[in-house]
Parts: sequence; structure tokens; C-alpha cells
Amino acid sequence: MGRWYKENSNNSIVVSSRIRLARNLSGMPFPSRMNDEQREKLKQTVKSAIEESNTPFAKLLKYIDMSSVPENEVMAMVERHVISPEFAKSVKNRAIILSDDESISIMIGEEDHIRIQVILQGLQLEKAYDIAERIDSLLYERLHFAFDSQLGFLTECPTNLGTGLRASVMLHLPVCEAQGEIQSLSETVGKIGFTVRGMYGEGSKSEASLYQVSNQITLGLSENNAIRNLEIITNQIIEKEMKLREELDTLKLEDLSYRALGTLKYARIMSSKEMMNLISKIKLGLDMGIIKEEINPIELLVESGPFMLMSKKGEMTAKERDIERATELRKKMT
Amino acid sequence: MKCEKCGKNTATTHIKSIVNGVAKEINLCSLCAANEGYGNISNVGLAGMLASMFGESLQSVNENIGVKCSVCGATFSNVAKTGKVGCAECYNTFKNELLPYLKRVHGSTVHAGKVPNSAPLIVKPIQKTVDDLRTQLNRLISEEKYEQAAVIRDEIKRMEENSNG
Repeated sequence: MGRWYKENSNNSIVVSSRIRLARNLSGMPFPSRMNDEQREKLKQTVKSAIEESNTPFAKLLKYIDMSSVPENEVMAMVERHVISPEFAKSVKNRAIILSDDESISIMIGEEDHIRIQVILQGLQLEKAYDIAERIDSLLYERLHFAFDSQLGFLTECPTNLGTGLRASVMLHLPVCEAQGEIQSLSETVGKIGFTVRGMYGEGSKSEASLYQVSNQITLGLSENNAIRNLEIITNQIIEKEMKLREELDTLKLEDLSYRALGTLKYARIMSSKEMMNLISKIKLGLDMGIIKEEINPIELLVESGPFMLMSKKGEMTAKERDIERATELRKKMT
Repeated sequence: MKCEKCGKNTATTHIKSIVNGVAKEINLCSLCAANEGYGNISNVGLAGMLASMFGESLQSVNENIGVKCSVCGATFSNVAKTGKVGCAECYNTFKNELLPYLKRVHGSTVHAGKVPNSAPLIVKPIQKTVDDLRTQLNRLISEEKYEQAAVIRDEIKRMEENSNG
């Protein structure tokens, strides 16, 4: 395994697969009704459960108290999809258990006591679930989870009740987007219990034509069925995007992707929005076999995020960041 | 048919409205329909949908507003406002109020996934005891809510028959 954005994917439309399991301990109120003392106890309980399990698996995981992480790095973790934007909003009394390659993260004290997340490059939902399930089992050997025989795993928000599973794929859909198909796609998958959202989840907009598709239904549907349904939907969306790509004018496409490549290689000032826009076009050019250079567009995109830059180089104004971003990209691409 | 607003995309939504007795019909593409506020419900965000659903239910189940969860102290009005329950026990306390909404959100009220099988788990079926139901029945009768009382009475009868048989 490795960082999802570092590995260049062969399946170009599916950028990453993510599994999230929501779990709560019994005998403790849910996070929004917890006091500081209970939050501290929660962190220590989960920490010892992992450490005491003593499995080779657990040795890969490291406990990090979020209050010890610098502010810019917290936001950079959001940009790397290690933590949710919701989790980053308040780091006080929150902790994370993280694997070296950041593919496994266990958020403690988010909307639920425990959120196990596994994120892998490309379409690997089953593998990601397999890993998440192993961590889940490892934890419940030592912890008392709130579980009800009728309602399943109990969660703070009733929308996660049952399996507590959110399976999602991040898709690059530049042509569907350009042709105004996202809205109808969203409506279609909405009817069968799935949702289409921007790159960073609920309410977020997509600048690089990256969209997340995930299940909404967690009660009355098994984990395997939810995942299988998402795979089927994903394959249908891929088919649609591919079909629309075939109808594109080759010369126009070449022009579009090479212009983007040229700008990214030689620009001196580059906003985050422009960078995302260009990377999307370059990725399309790469995936269509037009651009043949060794570039991992997703890695460039993630590493050019405002907080990724500042986490590395220190605090900067927006203007300084735009210059730094252009400089970094130029260095990496020439 | 093209969208009557943008004239570009294919119209997929037919909207019929009657304002001050005047009927109007228009065909829009999904994008323009969304802009006009006829979008898909999933786009308002699930929490919002839940809160609005709970809000609506508050009026119909207001006899339960005073009931507090014995573990965390949350009232149903807290749950309805935030779309979040206070603790695991809340699912027990507010079961009757929550079940119809779980059904609407998930299309089901019965878990079909993984069941943890290790010893430390507390598996507690959410099923009100006959005693709880009797208390509820008496309250409903004293409030002259006979229709709801009849439902509870039948449930008690069924539970007693099950345990005797």
C-alpha cells in the first residue's frame, strides 16, 4: 500500500476508494454531548485498545493527539483526505490513529466516537473494506460498542445507523461535467440511495472535475451489498464518461490538454483554482494517451494545495502561495 | 424537447404550478430546475432533510417532548433540532418517534449487516417492555388519545400472547 495520491493509477477515472466505519462505545454519550473529561477518557480508551492488541497490524499504527499538530498541518491532512473537514474544525480533545502510509486513519471524537477510514488508490473498495473490517474486529475485541440487534451499530446521526458504513469512490469526470451530465447523474444515483458530491464531501464544490459517489443507505443493506452496488454504479459512470470521451474532437482535445500542460509548466503565478482546472485537463490528456510524459496529476494536485504548501514552507499570504505553487510545479514538471 | 429557460439542454423536468388561480406549465433541464428550486431532495444535505422531517414530526408527537433520555438527558426536541441523537440509549427512549424516519431515510428499520460476535458486547434489543407500554397506555387514556391508546393496547396483547405461547 502507499499514499493514495502518490501511486499513479491505471484505472484513470477512479482516483481513489474509501471506506469509513462509524462506531461508538456504549455507556458514553455521543461526542456532541460529551464533556472534556469524557473526551479525554475516550481518547485513552481507544489508544490502549489498539496498543494492547499487540497484533502486527496494530504496530503499523501511530497515535497522534490532534492538539499537538500545527494548524497548517491539520488542514494539510484534510487536503490529503486523512481527516474530514468536520474533524479539522475543532482539534481540541480529538486524536487520530494513523498508519505510516496514511491509508488507515482512525478518527477519535468526530461525529462518532470512532471513525475507521481506509483510503486506497484506484478502484479497490473490497480491499479497503477488508482492512477496515479487520481494524473494526480488532477494536471490538477490547471495546464495548453500542450495538442493537434491530438497529445495528448505533451512531450519533441516524443516517449512519446500521452498518455505519460509508463507501465512496472519487471519480474524475471532466467530460460528463462539461456536458452538463452531473446533475442528472446525481438524480439517477439519488433514486437508488447513492449520492454525488464534490471532492471534499458534503457541500464542497469540485474544481478539478473530481466527484465522490457514496452510499446513503446504511440500514437494511449489508456491507457487501452496499459495496457491490457502488461498484456497479461506478462502472456505469465510467462507461458513460468513456463514451462521451470517444465523441470528442481529437485535435481540440490535444489543444486543450497541451495548453494546460504548457501553462502549468511555465506559469509564474498560479491560483489553487487555476491549478485544479489545468490538472484536470492534463489528466484527461494523459488518460486519453495524448500526453505521454511521466506525470502523476493527482499527486501534483494534492501537493499544490494551499495548506500542503504552507505545512511544508511555513505561513504565506495567498499571493505568496500562488507564486510558490507555480515555482514548485515548474520544478516538478521540467 | 429543449429546456425552455436555457434553450440548450434537454428538458427533463415538467413543472406545473397554479398561482392565484392561473395555471402555468414549463419544461426545464435538470440544471435550470435545480436553480429554480425544484432540485433533487438529496442535494439539500441529509442532515437538513432529517432536521426538517423531525421538525414536522414534533407537532404530531408533542406529547413526548417532555420525555428525557435517562442516560444523556436529551429530549426529542434536541434530537429533532440537531438531527443527532445524544447517546445509544436515545434510540431506545425515542424509538417510536425515530422508526418512521429511519424507514423514510433508509427504506428499512432492520439491520442487515455485520453482527459483532465477541463477548464484551452489550446486545440489547430495542423493545419496550410491557410495563413501559402500560405506563404509556395509561397516559394516553388520561389524555383521551384513544386511537393511539388502541395501538399500544394491541401491542401489549400481542407481546403477552407471544410470551405465554
